[in-house]
Amino acid sequence: MDYLVTVLLPQLLHGLVFGAALGLLALGLTVVFGLLGVMNFAHGELYMLGAYAGIAVVGATHSFWVALILAPLLVAALGAVTEVATLRPIYRRAPLYGLILTFGLALVFREGARQIWGGDMRRILPPVTGSTPLLGMIYPNYRLFLLGASSVLLLAIWLFFTRTRAGVLVRAAVQDAEMLDGLGVNVPRLFTLTFAGSAALAALAGLLLAPVFTVYPQMGVEMILLAFIVVILGGMGSMGGSVVAALVIGTAQSLFSLWMNPQRVAIAIFGIMIVVLIIRPRGFFGREGILE
Amino acid sequence: MAWRALAAFAALATLPALPGLPTYYLLLAFDALLFGAIAMSLDLLMGYTGLVSFGHAAFYGLGAYATAILLERGVLSVWACLGAALVVVGLYAAIVSYFATARRGIYFALLTLIFAEVVYTFFRYTQTFGGSDGIQGLPDALLWRGVAIDTPRRKYYLVLVYLAAAYAICRVVVTSHFGRVLVAIRENEDRARFLGYNVQRYKMAACMISALLTGTAGAIYPIRSAFATPDLMLWTESGEFIISVMIGGLGTLVGPILGGAFFTILRDKASSFVDWYFIVIGGVLVLIVLFMPAGLLGVRRLVGFRQWRHGA
Amino acid sequence: MKRITCAVVLATVAVLVWVATPAVSQPKVVRIGDLGSKVGVFEGYGKYQTMGIQMAVEELNAKGGVLGHRIEVISEDDETKPAPAVRKAEKLILQDDVKLLVGVVSSGATMAVMDVTKKHKTIHWNSVSCAEFMRTTKFHKYYFSNQPDSRMQANGLAKYIIDRMGKRVYIFYTDYAMGQSDGRQFKTALERLGGEVVGVAGAPLDTKDFSPWFGAINTANPEVLFLAFAGTDSLRLMTQLHSFGMTRKYRLAGIDCFLLQQDLASIAEPMEGFVQLNHFSAYNPDKNMQAFNARFKKRFGVDANIAAGAYDAVHFWAAAVEKAQSFDPDRVAEAHEGMCRDDTHIGRQCIRKEDHQVVMDMHLYQVKGGKNLPIARIAGTDSIGEPMVGRDPVEGFTWEIKKKN
Repeated sequence: MDYLVTVLLPQLLHGLVFGAALGLLALGLTVVFGLLGVMNFAHGELYMLGAYAGIAVVGATHSFWVALILAPLLVAALGAVTEVATLRPIYRRAPLYGLILTFGLALVFREGARQIWGGDMRRILPPVTGSTPLLGMIYPNYRLFLLGASSVLLLAIWLFFTRTRAGVLVRAAVQDAEMLDGLGVNVPRLFTLTFAGSAALAALAGLLLAPVFTVYPQMGVEMILLAFIVVILGGMGSMGGSVVAALVIGTAQSLFSLWMNPQRVAIAIFGIMIVVLIIRPRGFFGREGILE
Repeated sequence: MAWRALAAFAALATLPALPGLPTYYLLLAFDALLFGAIAMSLDLLMGYTGLVSFGHAAFYGLGAYATAILLERGVLSVWACLGAALVVVGLYAAIVSYFATARRGIYFALLTLIFAEVVYTFFRYTQTFGGSDGIQGLPDALLWRGVAIDTPRRKYYLVLVYLAAAYAICRVVVTSHFGRVLVAIRENEDRARFLGYNVQRYKMAACMISALLTGTAGAIYPIRSAFATPDLMLWTESGEFIISVMIGGLGTLVGPILGGAFFTILRDKASSFVDWYFIVIGGVLVLIVLFMPAGLLGVRRLVGFRQWRHGA
Repeated sequence: MKRITCAVVLATVAVLVWVATPAVSQPKVVRIGDLGSKVGVFEGYGKYQTMGIQMAVEELNAKGGVLGHRIEVISEDDETKPAPAVRKAEKLILQDDVKLLVGVVSSGATMAVMDVTKKHKTIHWNSVSCAEFMRTTKFHKYYFSNQPDSRMQANGLAKYIIDRMGKRVYIFYTDYAMGQSDGRQFKTALERLGGEVVGVAGAPLDTKDFSPWFGAINTANPEVLFLAFAGTDSLRLMTQLHSFGMTRKYRLAGIDCFLLQQDLASIAEPMEGFVQLNHFSAYNPDKNMQAFNARFKKRFGVDANIAAGAYDAVHFWAAAVEKAQSFDPDRVAEAHEGMCRDDTHIGRQCIRKEDHQVVMDMHLYQVKGGKNLPIARIAGTDSIGEPMVGRDPVEGFTWEIKKKN
């Protein structure tokens, strides 16, 4: 019982905090994949740009909260421009081209950020300071805020997709974009908006995690593989699956580190992923054969 | 076809004889040709079979570690190193290709990526193999008793011989019946299946050939560099192989060799002058995908690639 | 198709011939190579290394260069990885024909470059990497270092930790050459002096979230937390330790390259009280150090940091070349041995003959208000330790924790 409260629960909390933020990142990735058929390699760079945009806004306005609104909007605008200029012409080609193209975009964004902001690490001070005694340890308030904010955002997104017309349209487009076109919906615009929204989500995740993980040009590359794993595990294109998978990965990662060297945990996570793919190739909630 | 290849290799063979050539350029040429050879093996998959592997760095790195581990323990024979690399890479590639070829398109790319990342993580965190520093300070390998591959010139000829052999193998593969089946799979997988071909077995075979060629290239690398590090199998390295293939041209074999060589030389030269060359490389990749989807040299054969997306 | 292929082949050959044309070297110019991290986790070190070299070269050239040759610096980026570091070292030596190579930052990459400088007989100075292997198992006659390595740091700092900070120490290190070396040396030194190492843990380079390790640290309940990290990892680790209240709970000590002075200001509060051994701080009132820093600041507009030790390296090399009256690597290497300079930022520095390590006084520093302030001076002879070329300096070492009852 003691073990449960003082060891297991704090570690579970670490995992949930990280998993919820990872969920935000993976959600954008999976929506874009489901709708546009593009596995976006540059998603990690949008996450990174969100953090840098946040630093810029905080520098100008001295408010983290303003940055939390403005930074995602700035990155969303960049996302919209990128989608129109580079992705739109290749939707009719193989999804593989999207993968290669966004790999190139990722290089450009990453190096661009380094040229603009420099390669050294930046810090964003957490807007919520102090810590709370919790479960026999001192837990930083900002991490609790992170968990709360991510959960609220995930809930809001769920409501958006189930209760609003726009959300239902996007889900319908994932099912059958051509039919939607026939019904008179402006599909290209829907695609652009979706991509922009996904960029905004990535940026939001980047900014929210910045006070914990700090900010540097490579931060996106280091996250993107984990996000890919989450998307594949959850079932490509399944939003609920991604959130569940993110929480599973987050908690698994932190629980494993109790029993094994934290360095081996990374391998264990890949192991889970490979086992799941062998037993259940379409992931937790994926549909069979999507975009194969 | 053959005489031109022979002429090209003969020209390359005379490179070390160029008067006043600093030895550094022999080493740069080594890197360029090795990178070109890897890009060519990847082209076998990307260009001919229509499968994009994001995990080739693992084959390359495993081959490099096989050599490095043997050299470190005093087994200096090149042949032993190559043999060990073929066995290790072969086993790993068999597992990867078995699972990855069961899926199509983007799943294949992602599965190869994840498998490669497992290998990368393993070597990076395993102190027996040097952890993130890798294995360093390796002795020179021996071609046979008493003949060490120690000078840049000998190293250069080693990679040249390898490239010639790999090119010959690839050429034979793509002109054979087997190669035509691969192209058929790329053009229309279902039709190939209806015609009675065991599609997955063909894909697996293509995957194995490509992996073994890449692994051999990896096995040669420590002979030149005297080290193997986990960075060699990072997924961004796989991305650079893909960039080389795209620059050179899909399904041309020669194109990716030139693409890989061009990429290596560009990176080496550009990085001495500007530190933002990755913007250029990324930008070029985007432009190629947008406007020349079959790559720079592949333009003339674009016709055959119109169907590529359906195979994917 | 044929024509295109031919054209491309021809173009490639043309490019190769062009790049192969040896650069016509000006008479009376000698080149030196500056190889360091200009990108990535350690770029802060690489940039200051470049500045240090530049300042020394400008001074030397103003006095007529070395042996009547004007010195020219060629800077290259090693991307903080062994593979590009080796390629660039080969480029500097074989193409640019540098007579001195200064670099690199990451210990892992430095060891890889040492193989190159050994093979091609090139004088190799290093002013940043602190793994112990460079002057022991990896040592070669062309290699010199004026960076206090992990053994020197352990010798200088361990006694202070036990006397003044606490006997129960937890060692948390970054898991590659540098951090492992520091961890081994400190564990050995602390245990030898009667301290108790209550736990050790290694985290990989570029770890994002350190909190999974915090549980083990808290459970071990140390008095002192010894940290062997560098670059951006340190910054992230301190941020996270602080948010978990662990910077106040434990006394903190660490290696000299834990955080550079210019990064301290932004993380002053978590770093308050942090103790480390260093050969330079811009806030040391020592008059030699202030004089050096004033010159550096006048030239570049910023305070110097430990990576500016490359400045001394170039001066040592130039003096050795003058002494040898030749650029021949063997003679220059021999001329280095036993050489002393009195006008450095710490007063007298001497190159020890046996392992080519520079012996110099250092200071223990404690962070107060974001500044590294000196608390004690350690004589160079007290920290250097015996030369151990070719031997493992901590033979029989294990990470195992000895339980004290």
